[in-house]
Amino acid sequence: MKVLICENSIDGIFSGVYRAYASRYGHNNIRLTTSDALESFELFCEYEEVPVDPECSRKVADTLRARLGQEVYYDICQAISAGETEKEQRKNMNKAEAVYKTVVLGLSMGQGFNVLNCLGNPYVARVFQLARSAGNEAHHLLGFLRFSELENGTLFSRIHPRNNVLPILAEHFVDRLPMENFIIYDENRKTAALHRKGSGYLLAAVPQADEEFMNRFSEKEQEYRQLWLEFFHSIAIEARKNPKLQRQNIPKRFWPDTVELK
Amino acid sequence: MTLMKKLNILSDAAKYDVACTSSGVERGGSGKGIGNCIAPGICHTFSADGRCISLLKILFTNECIFNCAYCLNNCNNDVKRAAFTPEEVCTLTMEFYRRNYIEGLFLSSGILISPNYTMDLIYQTLYQLRYVHGFHGYIHVKSIPGADPVLVEKVGFLADRMSINLELPTADSLRRLAPCKSRNTILKPMRQIQNSIDASKQELALLENRLYPGRGELAHWQETPRFVPAGQSTQMIIGATPESDFQIMSVAERLYQNFNLKRVFFSAFVNVTENSDLPALPGGPPLLREHRLYQADWLLRFYHFKVSELLSEDKPDFNIFLDPKCDWALRHLEFFPVEINRADYYTLLRVPGIGYKSASRIVKARKQSVLTFSDLKKIGVVLKRALYFITCSGRMMYNTKLEEDYICRNLMGDKTQIPREIRESGYRQLSLFDEGMIAPDSSASFQKIIGV
Ligand code: SF4
Repeated sequence: MKVLICENSIDGIFSGVYRAYASRYGHNNIRLTTSDALESFELFCEYEEVPVDPECSRKVADTLRARLGQEVYYDICQAISAGETEKEQRKNMNKAEAVYKTVVLGLSMGQGFNVLNCLGNPYVARVFQLARSAGNEAHHLLGFLRFSELENGTLFSRIHPRNNVLPILAEHFVDRLPMENFIIYDENRKTAALHRKGSGYLLAAVPQADEEFMNRFSEKEQEYRQLWLEFFHSIAIEARKNPKLQRQNIPKRFWPDTVELK
Repeated sequence: MTLMKKLNILSDAAKYDVACTSSGVERGGSGKGIGNCIAPGICHTFSADGRCISLLKILFTNECIFNCAYCLNNCNNDVKRAAFTPEEVCTLTMEFYRRNYIEGLFLSSGILISPNYTMDLIYQTLYQLRYVHGFHGYIHVKSIPGADPVLVEKVGFLADRMSINLELPTADSLRRLAPCKSRNTILKPMRQIQNSIDASKQELALLENRLYPGRGELAHWQETPRFVPAGQSTQMIIGATPESDFQIMSVAERLYQNFNLKRVFFSAFVNVTENSDLPALPGGPPLLREHRLYQADWLLRFYHFKVSELLSEDKPDFNIFLDPKCDWALRHLEFFPVEINRADYYTLLRVPGIGYKSASRIVKARKQSVLTFSDLKKIGVVLKRALYFITCSGRMMYNTKLEEDYICRNLMGDKTQIPREIRESGYRQLSLFDEGMIAPDSSASFQKIIGV
């Protein structure tokens, strides 16, 4: 058995998929795994590290889009962006392997766009599960994320997501706030999405964030936060008070990044 | 009065309106102004009562010339009054929206001077939001009962959703508790909005086929004018008047069928006015009853159930111990077991524990391979409820009997039958019996179920 080790990212895993196809060992004789996987090395396996190759990754992406359709492609990317705890990683099939074998199945089917419906297949079921958990968090954050206005008028947001949902969020807010300058900063991954008004966005690594800059708020900022808090408290119905339901609907881990619950 | 004080009074006065969804319309950003909408809606936070906050829900004013008995703002009540200006509402909406606090605005109002005067203020506010601020986010607006149809029409082209509250399930109750309103001043504008929505949809279809030159209003805030694209909704207060669940659900069903409503909301009555015509409800608002009504409402909208299948004159109220779908299934065991690998979509929908999403996943997945119980779990089926009612390739999951008492006992052991949020919200069992709901055989088993 040949084991390809790839980086845990869209480009990394797609590079691995490309290498698996190119090697012509036969899909039954190859397994993919991510470099951060917690597996122990097995005796009769041959390990190979696959470097990230943007060109190979693009070819895989193009093929998936063309043969499996935009929706499946999107779900696969979302599955890859899912972050897992160590426990989850130990318990479940490796993400890269699930994606690889799902792609193999999809490309072998007459109607590849149906591939994610094959939930009886364990690889597909895993991709589906990962995509769903990342998708849920992204949807949550579309609502729970908060912007603050900095001194220079830029809107700034700090998030701590489990999954790598920054690109999904950035796209949403570029469409929503085209005429605002904004920054969304994923502190867990030290990455920021930067948007200049009237244009697209770019992702940048931020190894050293400038705390001072991020805390210099505009004059009006405090005032609107106060108004929001006022609204937030007066809209609740005392007779229906239910902190447990509240916590169930907006899990505690999102609280520190909001204005009203921190 | 400061803006802070106004916001305090006018959001406090708006909180008994339950609708807060921002769903039903998909609208990309314009590339210029600000805002977009996504069809499923977005919740931005949850208040201390656990309800979703999606929209800035406020009254324009809580001044009111009417005297509805259940309402804090009624003209006989001594409460602090306030009114926004259109500019203030715009500023709050825009600044909250930029900071991603909200999905948009839910604007309702008490009646200041006259219905037309109030409706016009609402119109001005919406006009400024759409045209001066370029706001493309979600707007839900309450139509004022008795306002001129021309104004209703104008507002409808600026809003995404409109609603007129039915308030109470029957005309009798309305007459008693809201003497200034009548079925007529509620149903007439509801019909008008329905007709305008239909007309707007047809126009849109013609526009798309280039058969119709459009209204000629070139500078509309969105490229093609659309009237209330997210549809209309309404709300009924539950437990202030003696109607049965059967009456309430039948009204809801008629509203869906005859008025094409998107949503009917139920609001568990909270006695805020201490009016002697109203029930005191020492056990708090009837939350479990409200919950059952919402469950049944889902069955109507997504599961192809009819009210007559769930309730009748002889059985006018929902079972408080079982959700309406389980309750139905237990009374129709002849329908089961259902074979997962063969049954059609509509049959699957009737199985407790299978949601409409799971049902459609099952139909797709089984084309590729025969499904087993462990596949069902991955698909999202709630097996602990479904297992009594299904087979996979001819086999039950366990050796269970298809027998009413047996299944009922097992289902009631499942705590989720009375949802956690209600079990744990200081919900008192007494209030249930007070309302004349069916008492269980022994109160001991009841106490076990809700864990008290
Ligand atoms: S019309 Fe009736 S329900 Fe509406 S604000 Fe006035 S008193 Fe309250």
